[in-house]
Amino acid sequence: MTRPRLVHRNILRLVTASFAGLSLALLSGCKLVDAVHQIFSLSGPQSTMVTAGPVAKSQWDLFMVTVYVTTFIFIVVGAVLAYAQIKFRAKSEADEHAEPPPQGHGNPFVEIGLIAASVFLLVIIAIPTLKGIWYTHDVPDEDKANAIDVTATGYQWWFKFEYPTEMVKLPGGAGEAPLVTGNELVVPAGVPVRVQLRTVDVIHSFWIPKLAGKVDMMPNRGNFLWFKADHPGYFYGQCAEYCGESHAIMRFRVIALSAPDYAKWLENQKQAARTVTASSLAAAAAAPTVQFASMKFDAGAALSGSPQFDADPLGAWKAMQKPEAGENAALIATGRKLFNEKTCVKCHMVRGHEGIGITGPDLTRVGARSTIAAGVLENTQDLMHKWIKDPEYFKPGNKMFHGIGGMTGYMAPNDKGDLVPNIILNDTEITALVAYLHSLK
Amino acid sequence: MAEAIAKHAFTGAGHPPAKATFELMARPTAKTGLISWLTTVDHKKIGMLYGGFAILFFLIGGLEALMIRTQLMVPNNRFIGAQLYNELFTMHGTTMIFLAVMPLNAAFFNLLIPIQVGARDVAFPRLNAFSLWVWVVGAFLLNVGWLSHIVPSWQFGGAPDVGWFGYAPLTSKVFTPDLSTDLWVLGLQILGLSSIVASLNFIVTIINMRAPGLTMMRLPVFCWMALVTSFLLILALPAIAIALVEVMFDRNFGTNFFEVSGGGQPILWQHLFWVFGHPEVYILILPPMGYVSEILPTFARKPLFGYPIIVFSGVAIGFIGFGVWSHHMFTTGMGVVATAAFSIATMAIAVPTGVKIFNWIGTLWGGQIMTRVPMMFALGFIWMFMLGGFSGIMHSAAPADAQQQDSYFVIAHFHYVLIGGATFALLAAIHYWFPKFFGRMVPEFWGKVSFWLIFVGFNCTFFPMHFLGLNGMPRRTWTYDSNMGWNEGNFFATMGAYLLGLGIFTYFAVLVWSFFKGQKCGNDPWDGRTLEWSIPSPPPEHNFAAIPNVHARDAWWYEKTHQDEIAAEKAAHIKAEESHGGIHMPDQSWYPLFAAAGLGLAAFNFAQLHHPVMMMGNQVLSSHLPLALTGGVIMVAALYLWSLEGPGGYHIHLDANGNATESRGDHH
Amino acid sequence: MSSHAATIDHHHDATTSTGIPNKKLLWWAFLASDCMFFGALISTHLVYRLNPPPGNAIPTQVFNIELTSFSTFILLMSSLLMALAVNAIQKGNIRSTRTMLLGTMFFGCIFLGGQVYEFAHFVAVKKMTLSNSIFGSTFYTLTGTHGTHVAIGVLLLGMMYVRTFKPAHGESGLLRNFAHLAAVCTVMAVSFIWLVPSGIEAIYGAPVGELLSHHAVPFGIGAVALAVVFWFARSGGEVEFGEKNAIDVEAIGLYWHFVDIVWIIIFTAVYLLEYL
Repeated sequence: MTRPRLVHRNILRLVTASFAGLSLALLSGCKLVDAVHQIFSLSGPQSTMVTAGPVAKSQWDLFMVTVYVTTFIFIVVGAVLAYAQIKFRAKSEADEHAEPPPQGHGNPFVEIGLIAASVFLLVIIAIPTLKGIWYTHDVPDEDKANAIDVTATGYQWWFKFEYPTEMVKLPGGAGEAPLVTGNELVVPAGVPVRVQLRTVDVIHSFWIPKLAGKVDMMPNRGNFLWFKADHPGYFYGQCAEYCGESHAIMRFRVIALSAPDYAKWLENQKQAARTVTASSLAAAAAAPTVQFASMKFDAGAALSGSPQFDADPLGAWKAMQKPEAGENAALIATGRKLFNEKTCVKCHMVRGHEGIGITGPDLTRVGARSTIAAGVLENTQDLMHKWIKDPEYFKPGNKMFHGIGGMTGYMAPNDKGDLVPNIILNDTEITALVAYLHSLK
Repeated sequence: MAEAIAKHAFTGAGHPPAKATFELMARPTAKTGLISWLTTVDHKKIGMLYGGFAILFFLIGGLEALMIRTQLMVPNNRFIGAQLYNELFTMHGTTMIFLAVMPLNAAFFNLLIPIQVGARDVAFPRLNAFSLWVWVVGAFLLNVGWLSHIVPSWQFGGAPDVGWFGYAPLTSKVFTPDLSTDLWVLGLQILGLSSIVASLNFIVTIINMRAPGLTMMRLPVFCWMALVTSFLLILALPAIAIALVEVMFDRNFGTNFFEVSGGGQPILWQHLFWVFGHPEVYILILPPMGYVSEILPTFARKPLFGYPIIVFSGVAIGFIGFGVWSHHMFTTGMGVVATAAFSIATMAIAVPTGVKIFNWIGTLWGGQIMTRVPMMFALGFIWMFMLGGFSGIMHSAAPADAQQQDSYFVIAHFHYVLIGGATFALLAAIHYWFPKFFGRMVPEFWGKVSFWLIFVGFNCTFFPMHFLGLNGMPRRTWTYDSNMGWNEGNFFATMGAYLLGLGIFTYFAVLVWSFFKGQKCGNDPWDGRTLEWSIPSPPPEHNFAAIPNVHARDAWWYEKTHQDEIAAEKAAHIKAEESHGGIHMPDQSWYPLFAAAGLGLAAFNFAQLHHPVMMMGNQVLSSHLPLALTGGVIMVAALYLWSLEGPGGYHIHLDANGNATESRGDHH
Repeated sequence: MSSHAATIDHHHDATTSTGIPNKKLLWWAFLASDCMFFGALISTHLVYRLNPPPGNAIPTQVFNIELTSFSTFILLMSSLLMALAVNAIQKGNIRSTRTMLLGTMFFGCIFLGGQVYEFAHFVAVKKMTLSNSIFGSTFYTLTGTHGTHVAIGVLLLGMMYVRTFKPAHGESGLLRNFAHLAAVCTVMAVSFIWLVPSGIEAIYGAPVGELLSHHAVPFGIGAVALAVVFWFARSGGEVEFGEKNAIDVEAIGLYWHFVDIVWIIIFTAVYLLEYL
């Protein structure tokens, strides 16, 4: 029988002690304390603890019930286990060679008692669980009359939102259709929202942690969820089911507005796209050529929100609804022309302008959105320029670059079936496109 | 009695050896060297091969995990791309489940079951070899895609990238046209075949080949857990096999099972997958519960507390395990009644699991606990598995699970179960039985160092993940933005992962050192309780000089305390057996290997059915069908020759000093 | 061999802990597993039966229930022959065992031939393919899997049949054995791919002469193979196969009966259910 020699045992103790000492020393370093605090504080924008609606709150409360019960079990069972480990430890070499302890085989009364106790503890969890299943499933009956309906549709890798009760006139007398937005769902606060979940391709999952737990968007299946935002706010959401290459960056936002703000927003949305008229395109040439920073990012810089943005996201979002100062009408008109010429119109709708496509997100009011590329990039001129310049860098596999269902993107197959560049844009053209898209408020 | 024992001792009772004239090639007889390993039917050699391959893939899967953690160390990292990341997490999951933990368990089934039940081999030794080589074929198919990263002209489209769960319709030809998915489908299918065949063998071995006196309620708990696991495997794997067939047909023959436009219901895949996938969780964890139930009594020097309850709770887990699959699908919109039912069933399964923990504590109570390395891993198992169980209970509350599903909380949960649980127990088992099968001890000091590195590293990696999940970080994401509050947790987890990696490296490096330089040991270095400690280390080919008579639950403990009675019995057994011609051993065979190779050829080409066969840039055949058929014919021919060849066999005769001589071709 | 006959107990195996022969236990466990394979397939079929997409095929317009009922009856009768084969070998009667094995195989081939006819008819006349409706997908996959089981059963029976000729003290038997097996397989393949479907067509009124000339090549090959099978079957010397192999025949019998029972379930769930 091998045992560590005495000196080894001492080394082992020394190592353990220095480990403990080192961690204490590090913990007292305030940077580490901050970091550790950050891990456990659950203060992120997708925190499931800091909830903003009754559905998420009931889910967190139920979670805490399970935490209390399991912590109780852990303390009791852990204490007994720890006691047994210490108390019945062979203290010396001699102990190990002593007569073996009594060879008892167990005690049925103890066992049955423990089984009964565990069943009882599980019942404590089971009751609120059953209540929660029914509560989180659908809008409560007394609230049903107030609820608004929206439809969320998952695409690889973005979300389309439709308001089936808010009809808008299509240009050219083509009739009416529900209002459509992309990647930003705007809802009134204090009102239950029932979201019908659909998908056009693979399974996605719709998740706004602060408002409600996720429900999957299943093909050939009419799923839905509901939530209610207690107060106006800006909430983060994300696809939660693996859906292919860019699953990680399929994000969206929910913006809850007060009733008047919401009405105002709806009113504006229902209008055709905002048009900035220019007397002549020639003035566009006078626009300064912008030099943008390098494509590569320092790891660590947030792409979806600058510190100023994150400080008051709802305020920043509201500011984005207004036309930007210093608009260059000629540049915008050039951009609009390019948007048509470069075939962007085939996939993107700009209601009232040339854009008629439905394969990609509706861009009728893209300038008023706080993020682009499905919640990945803050909607600044700089980042939109980079996105248009190299979408594959930000979102590998995206359909704007690769094309989808017969629609060609930046790349298109040649006769041999190899992909070759199809849409080529230079920096000047992109600047014009960005100006146009940012004018769509 | 003696008659029964003599007959019991070998597997080919009643079959005289096959005539040499009926063999395509001479039966191999090499005891050492490459051929002996390729043609072996010895359960110990097969177990070691399983173990060796499994550890290799365990390390590969670990490297994949370290790459994943490195990518997630900082936000918006560009260490690896989205596509490669998706391949890595898919293969990390697939590898750890099918190519590391399952075969490591299979290794211990092979090494221990025949010895613990007092037999000389499994019931069907050649079938056992077949399982092993079929497993190798499956492992090859799953991983062959990596090669196309190195040799781009092999257009497999990289390794599989659909997730280990392969949710339809992401696996359809529209969304993943690459060959990698076809190879994944066939690779899993073949691993399933291997597991079913192996499980059938273990079921028969445990039920039918027990030594005299070894009633089912005297069976070591490990064998009980192996039996339950084997039943779970044969009953659960068909569900995924059919689901994989349906995906394969959708991809290759245009069926509509999961084809949305043709009316397919992708949710059906999830049901079929989890009808397999949930029992699979118990397939991974029940054998580790068996190891721990063997190790704790040895080092507490006391029998297992509440043996019948441990056994029945294992069986109960097996049963209930088939009725909880939909708790993986709480967010798929099943409706309130189904969700409630599966919620309650999931809570119910916590009871038999909890019972086991109570009994392990009961085993420690009143013992003389010797904290050797296997015991430390076993105790670590109880603590960590308990934590994993608690987060499991949290998931059973379906509304709460709606927030946790597919978040890092789930990752934390199942790594506590699969590393803190299954892997800790496996590391305990490897350390515990290493002296038995290699005859050398692993140094305690370095074992303890590796334990603490693994224990600390593991907790640093996975404990913060609970909080990442509660903070809204979804899993299977290649990158994240820096304003989500996840930076610190991810950095900490990555550092923990490096520490864990260092611990695992230390653990296996020490094993390699011990294999060559470890202190030699006798047959019973730990003062063990079950039959494997009654025979020399490493065990001889025939395991037992005399088939034991089992008088009590801890058979070897009884033998140690009743030496005179046992000595007389054994002498009688040896005499009886020698009068029947000696110890009968099954012959080696080439055919299991050939049949598996034929299957490999068939499957590899079938996966690429509609692609032309290319060689050096030139098209050789317009499709892979002829090669696939050739493989099939080779397999059937090898199986037929296998049956014509018969089990064969030879005899071992032991002299008074235990030296063995062999004789062939003699009848009795 | 006959001297040993009295000592073989076909109901208890003294070498195992339970008295059940290892091979039998193996097959029972395998059949439990196989139940789950069919369970998953039948579930798939029933799930889609309850959720049919628009434009799905209508089963009652596709099925030919009389023909399927007939082949179901034939398959059940083959189980009887299988039982007789087991009985014969347990008594050590090898000649009778061979006859019964051949009979089982032939009935199996009639069933398979019925399925070949059915599939061909559904595709060519009823225009239901594997891919043009979800009913086609589940129907062909489920019944095709069952057909594959029957075909494997026929192959195993063929192997067992040929094995009964393995000489007790023979030399250079391997090549001869393989030739024998190839001839048996050819006969069976010709009968279920060409002969039985043609027979069914003839019953439904196709001109026999035309069928014969159309399939002249496979029928010719089948006739030659049949002659070879007869040639191999002429009585030779002592064979190794005997009563001790009863367990092998019984094991295949278990499989065969299981496949029959599964068919009864499939026949009910897939065919009869549509006529309720």
